[in-house]
Amino acid sequence: MVSRTVTIRNRAGLHTRPAATIVKKASQYRCEFTIIKEGFRINGKSIIGVMTLAAEQGSELTLEFEGSDEEAASVDIAEYFERGFDEEF
Amino acid sequence: MGALDNIQEIRKQSITVGFMADTCRDRFHLQHLNEGVGRDKQITDKNLHRPQLALTGYTKLFTYHRVQVLGNTEFFYLQSLSPERRIEVFAALLSFDVPCMVVTTGNQLDPELVAIATERQIGIFCTPHETTKAIYLLSDFLDDHFAAYAPVHGAFVDVYGAGVLFIGRSGIGKSEVALDLIERGHRLVADDVVLVTRKGEGVLMGAGSALAPHFMEVRGLGLLDVRQMFGIRAIRFQKRVEVIVELEEWDPAAEYTRTGLEDATASLLGIEIPYVRLPIFPGKNITVIAEVIALNYLLKHYGYNAAQVFADKLSDAIANRSAGDMTSSRSTPYFEHDFE
Repeated sequence: MVSRTVTIRNRAGLHTRPAATIVKKASQYRCEFTIIKEGFRINGKSIIGVMTLAAEQGSELTLEFEGSDEEAASVDIAEYFERGFDEEF
Repeated sequence: MGALDNIQEIRKQSITVGFMADTCRDRFHLQHLNEGVGRDKQITDKNLHRPQLALTGYTKLFTYHRVQVLGNTEFFYLQSLSPERRIEVFAALLSFDVPCMVVTTGNQLDPELVAIATERQIGIFCTPHETTKAIYLLSDFLDDHFAAYAPVHGAFVDVYGAGVLFIGRSGIGKSEVALDLIERGHRLVADDVVLVTRKGEGVLMGAGSALAPHFMEVRGLGLLDVRQMFGIRAIRFQKRVEVIVELEEWDPAAEYTRTGLEDATASLLGIEIPYVRLPIFPGKNITVIAEVIALNYLLKHYGYNAAQVFADKLSDAIANRSAGDMTSSRSTPYFEHDFE
């Protein structure tokens, strides 16, 4: 299992557009993908799940990847978080 | 058992007095006497305490961190004291860091006593319910909010009154099964994020999240609001989790039950729930099977186990007659001139 801690950087937080992008990215990989916010674990391949987190700017999330392509998935998705979803900071 | 392995329960460590005040105000007429005071204080224990001995001065084992309930006994004890002594006793009680205090039976606490609480930043509440009922209501509320819960990735539907929780990997078709069940008149509780709470002994309750109740995602369509689309008859807000159905790709190597005699269960939040592993393949109508699972659960619940009845009949036949007679005999002995 690969575990990464990321922070929401963009001002708008984890809103619908980035949530959809995350889910799309995650669905390209076979591995299980879980996002954890303050102990609340949701399936990272579920758009409703990711949106339910309602993660605002500054909140810290843990990303967990488990499966054959966990390494590639973790790099791809964690990088997207680090880039602030390519939005304004 | 894949889909439930990853579930970790969450437990609130505390709630604020303000949250309790807002939630209980209308539900059981909890009136905040010193409005706005002590709302930020934390309640960390689901148990209540009646500070009888603490009022008389014995504070050695005083569980002051609990919500304090002043029933008739405490109230009339205070009333029996002289005004000076009453203030002294009450101030001594509130010298402890109590989260808040609830006066029952509509008893009116002296303004001087409320003033002491205000000075110490402790909220005083009043309820018209008598002590037994007030304690029952408050305990139930606190039990609920300190109960273990977990978000479960699945679809949760009330099928003929049985709460069926569908789990399985994302994309396997849980939402589609839920949608099909709704179309057939069953009721959606939640899709994708089901908040499951352990309530009392052996009971799990499921509900949707506050942010998106009754929203659903269908691949290729996007987000749907089931309540808007199908109306009030298609939803409900909470339901006991009674059967867990795990959808999975047909695996020729896996063993699926053929008789249903063994009671399979899955553990969720430490509670064993009847569990069905359901292989899917093209042409198999999962919705109808889901209805049958619910009906079979209801039959068992009311004491009829089809597999057991068949097994008993078989044992009976073997014991009483030669098996050869049974296999060749029909359920109808003769056709009664009815050739329909």
